Amino acid sequence: MDHATILVVDDDKEIANAIEKLLTLEGYRVIKAYNGLEALDALVANNIQLILLDVMMPKLDGLSTTLKIREKKNIPIIILSAKSEDSDKILGLTMGADDYVTKPFNPQELVARVKSQLRRYMYLGDMRNSISSSQLIVGGLSLDRETKEFKVDGVPVKLTPTEFKIMELLMSNPGIVFSAEKIYEKVWQEEAYSVENTVMVHIRRIREKIEINPKEPKYLKVVWGIGYKIEKC
Amino acid sequence: MKNVSRNNKTKIIAFILAVIFITAVVLQIQYLVCTGREFESLFVEKYKDSNNFYFNHVLPARNKVMFLIENKEEIVQPPQDLEYYYYVSDGETVFTNVPEESRKLFDQYNQNLYDLENNNLILGENPEEGYLYHYADDKYTLFLAFPDEYLYSEQVDWENSRLTMMPYIAMMAACLVLALGLIVYLILVTGRKLGDDELHMGKIDKMYTEIQAFAFVSILGIWVSIGMDLFEHNSDLTYKLGLSQVYSLILYGIITVASITLMGLLFLSMVRKIKAKTFIKHSITYIIYFRIKDFLKSFFDGRRFERFPLTKALFYRQMVFIIVSGILVLLTFLFMLIPPLMFIPPVIEIAVIYWYVKYNNKTYEEINKGFDESLEEQMKSERMKVELITNVSHDLKTPLTSIISYIDLLSKEELSDTARDYVNILCEKSYRLKNIVSDLFDLAKSTSGDINLDMEKLDLKKLIEQTLGDMEDEIESSGLQIKTRLPEEPVYIISDGKKLYRVFQNLIDNALKYSLKGTRVYIELEEVDGKAVTTIKNVAGYEMDFTAEEILQRFTRGDKSRSTEGSGLGLSIAESFTKVCGGSFKLDIDGDLFKVTMKFKTER
Repeated sequence: MDHATILVVDDDKEIANAIEKLLTLEGYRVIKAYNGLEALDALVANNIQLILLDVMMPKLDGLSTTLKIREKKNIPIIILSAKSEDSDKILGLTMGADDYVTKPFNPQELVARVKSQLRRYMYLGDMRNSISSSQLIVGGLSLDRETKEFKVDGVPVKLTPTEFKIMELLMSNPGIVFSAEKIYEKVWQEEAYSVENTVMVHIRRIREKIEINPKEPKYLKVVWGIGYKIEKC
Repeated sequence: MKNVSRNNKTKIIAFILAVIFITAVVLQIQYLVCTGREFESLFVEKYKDSNNFYFNHVLPARNKVMFLIENKEEIVQPPQDLEYYYYVSDGETVFTNVPEESRKLFDQYNQNLYDLENNNLILGENPEEGYLYHYADDKYTLFLAFPDEYLYSEQVDWENSRLTMMPYIAMMAACLVLALGLIVYLILVTGRKLGDDELHMGKIDKMYTEIQAFAFVSILGIWVSIGMDLFEHNSDLTYKLGLSQVYSLILYGIITVASITLMGLLFLSMVRKIKAKTFIKHSITYIIYFRIKDFLKSFFDGRRFERFPLTKALFYRQMVFIIVSGILVLLTFLFMLIPPLMFIPPVIEIAVIYWYVKYNNKTYEEINKGFDESLEEQMKSERMKVELITNVSHDLKTPLTSIISYIDLLSKEELSDTARDYVNILCEKSYRLKNIVSDLFDLAKSTSGDINLDMEKLDLKKLIEQTLGDMEDEIESSGLQIKTRLPEEPVYIISDGKKLYRVFQNLIDNALKYSLKGTRVYIELEEVDGKAVTTIKNVAGYEMDFTAEEILQRFTRGDKSRSTEGSGLGLSIAESFTKVCGGSFKLDIDGDLFKVTMKFKTER
């Protein structure tokens, strides 16, 4: 992991340099490219484990580059873009990117996301081969019903029994929206009466434990005015 | 064909010929008159039937005989030697130049003479030629008879006059036909020139129509009256001209040529005007009429109030309309005394009403158009502003990315305490800048209407509870209490949950930030008449010296004393998002009470 090579693609050289520095400090090897075509060349010439890709670039933009890379390789791609709208994010992820970070980004968050993607790519891959029946896996999250273990990108996270039950309920039905009442009835095994706040507080706690940026959760999402769900990855 | 007919020379020749022919006709008439020909002989075969005979012989004879009887006291001996026979009686006295037996003949017809056709009476031997005139009223009985011999010689002269006139008449007819043909030709070609189909106007056409008509009539009058006066009737029957008559004829010929030429030119000019459809327009009367009309109209069609704005012009037009109408009503009453003029004010009033309505409509249309244009302009400028903000926010993000990244790198370096403080400030401010740019972008997107919405049926009550749960930490650390009053049942609305979450987050955040310590924030939701009404109330911890409008103005920070956290766009975003999500947003500031009311249409 310490020797992973990361390709940073951005037409703004200062930003590319800053990211290089940030990642070098974390012990990664960094290769820079300033447009999509250079990125594709660099990808051929080097053994690369992760790509940070800007969208608005000359010659070949980030989305097209993503499509090209996905034709051959399955390495993690994190898109870096000044476009911050939901539709842009959805488009990027649909094109095959693994994560989408908007500019300007928090350097620590970027590093965390890089680490998370690398962990999933380098270690979780093996784990996926030996999934036991008691395991629930959604994206980088894994939950073991028997051992009561919960891991995010292979890193164990301590959840309270209630939190664990909530995650178990949501992860066994990824993409399905559960109302607070339903969650309460299933988890607490009591009749739900004015429980929205209680459930929400728990959800927020879980988010703080499992999300890199709890304000922009990747897995555990609130469907405002309706309920909660685990994003299907 | 056109080449010849439109040639100037052809036209001039035709004109001259026409003048000559007309002059010839006139001079021939004058000649015939001069030489004592009786034109009546052309139409009346019998002399005794002619007006000439009646007026020149019968009437004078009657008058003479009547004079005799009316002045019978003075008449010693009634005239005997006359070309006619007479018998006149007033019942007492009888004058006559007829022998006794012949007089009986008059008497015989005394009673039934009226019934006789043509007043003819057989007298003498030739019943055909004789002529008897009978006149009778209550007092007088009068008979006149012209003997055959006399009438016979007159008839010979009558026929002679006709026969000698015939060749002239034939000549005149020929001249007249030719002249008419030429005039028709001139009427057709006048104003036309070779090479084009345009109508060409001459200098004479610049004369106003009335002046032309007046000149035409004047020349005609002078010419005709000279023609009447110049000649003495020649009474001898030799049909020869006297020397003075020859001079008169020459002089009149010259006058005729001049008059016909002038009249011809005027006539053709008027023809050209009729062709150019300027006959009426180019008249003094029309110009005066048009000026007056135009003057009146100028008050209504906006020309007179051009330099004023449309609404002001509308006002002035109304004033003029009222004043003019008032004057016209007065005039109507005044003109009732002069019946022929009575209809003038109402006619003007109709015109004024017509203009008033017509140009008012036009002005309204213009105002509407201007309104639409300004609305479009406003929308366009709004769009442009949004585009600008979008572009700028994108352009801001790139350098900001570098700034944040390098500040982070800097903070990892070995730094003195002072330098670290500085870096911390930079870090904090750069994140604030990031938030501002992000808020600015969101606001620009939502106000432009160019925003992707994910509308779905959701429970507003749940959304509020979720938001409060999500913000529990902030609420706790603020030391404020949140008091909620929410309904038991879900309140369903159709909206975009994410955007609404931003709205509530911003509003609650705002309340937490600016409330007076130890007070409560009230959040209420109720369903009223199919509307979900949400209110958020808090008591401000500072004096709110701004109005609701001011604080909602984008990019305005209502109060300088507010903390420097946040972008200052929170309320604007809340308002804008509420609106794009289909709700209404109202902000009330009442003393220290800060109250936001939002309304959404509920969904069954």
